[in-house]
Amino acid sequence: MNRFLKILVSAVIFFIPAVVAESANSLNSEPFDYNFSSTYSVPINLSITEDFSTKEPINEGGHLQFKIVDDVFVHNNKILSAGTIVNAKLETIVTSGMNGFPAEIVISNFEIPEIKSSQLMQTYTQKGTNRCFWVYPLKWALTPIPFVGSLTNLIKGGHAKITTSDVITIFYYPDWN
Amino acid sequence: MRLFLILAIIAILNLPVMAIDNYTLENENRIQTLIDNIGTNILNKNKIDKRIIFTYDDKHKKKLLSTDKRLSKRQIIVYKDLYKSAQTDDEVAAMLSREISTVVKSYSGIWGGRLDSIQVTLGSKKFEIAADKRAVDYMVNANYNPLSLIIFINKTCPQKRSDRFSRHNLTSKRLARIYEYITYKYPEYLADNEFLNNKYYQNFLLTSIENRKKLKEKIKYNSTEEIDYE
Repeated sequence: MNRFLKILVSAVIFFIPAVVAESANSLNSEPFDYNFSSTYSVPINLSITEDFSTKEPINEGGHLQFKIVDDVFVHNNKILSAGTIVNAKLETIVTSGMNGFPAEIVISNFEIPEIKSSQLMQTYTQKGTNRCFWVYPLKWALTPIPFVGSLTNLIKGGHAKITTSDVITIFYYPDWN
Repeated sequence: MRLFLILAIIAILNLPVMAIDNYTLENENRIQTLIDNIGTNILNKNKIDKRIIFTYDDKHKKKLLSTDKRLSKRQIIVYKDLYKSAQTDDEVAAMLSREISTVVKSYSGIWGGRLDSIQVTLGSKKFEIAADKRAVDYMVNANYNPLSLIIFINKTCPQKRSDRFSRHNLTSKRLARIYEYITYKYPEYLADNEFLNNKYYQNFLLTSIENRKKLKEKIKYNSTEEIDYE
């Protein structure tokens, strides 16, 4: 009996570390197509070539055109010149809503020559004027008068727009995969 | 020897309880691992540089008087009720992407994202659609099929009579907007549709005929107007 117990205890002691090690290793052995170790980044300043507003929207997935504002250097080597055209995708539009909710656009997928999209931190969001700050207090102040508080539903938030004078910055991580 | 026998009998009597406990624990660990794995995959592939955690909860969702932890703690709690309807990795990804898009919103804007979080809560109809759309993008970037979001919502979200006085959209409207979004942005998933033999997807097609007709009209006339879906 004692012999059986010894064998059982030895087996448990022998196998547990192996099982634990295997499950721990399985989480680290998966190959990835990304590696975020490097913190070295280069800002790329862009401006849109034509004014864009959610007042006259395009369909989501449509293209917007930007140009590079300043020359871009990586370790003192120039990799992009000012004026280079960059296409980007209009990802999402959130239309402006009742009670002062602003419109919002999300732009991503910047196609920069010689740079992989996986090396860019590139989601850019632009919002319209947020009128909720004053519309909600007004709504609550008017609520005691029947139906009047609901009138603030008619106040819409501002349109999201990007003008040619706006400079937007995305970041290029040259050491990323 | 007698003591050993008594202990052995006690242990044997407790075995079923221990087995159930172990089974529950292992099952929860398996689900948690799957959720962590798919959730982190979505975060990394989309380069979302905000901290978000995923927690599986075996309990039912509390609806009243509970804060939304997605917006306050940036913690996505996957409740059993919802998880049980996610039958493939793509559907788990759909469920998590939808939640991630809401959490990401809570990071943007002034006061550490507090104002945006309030807006998400107050104007949830608008942000519901926006979160659905961002979820589609997250899924595509992480190599999951975005049509799974349609399948998952079609299976899990009930259809109310009207959304006129509700803070939530009719599910049929949400599905139509997701379908439209995929049609414009990721037509390749519809052209080479791997879900044509999926009965849940076919059920969506069956129940969305009128809305899809409206979308066809929009495409035909190259319109940018927002469609008034049913």
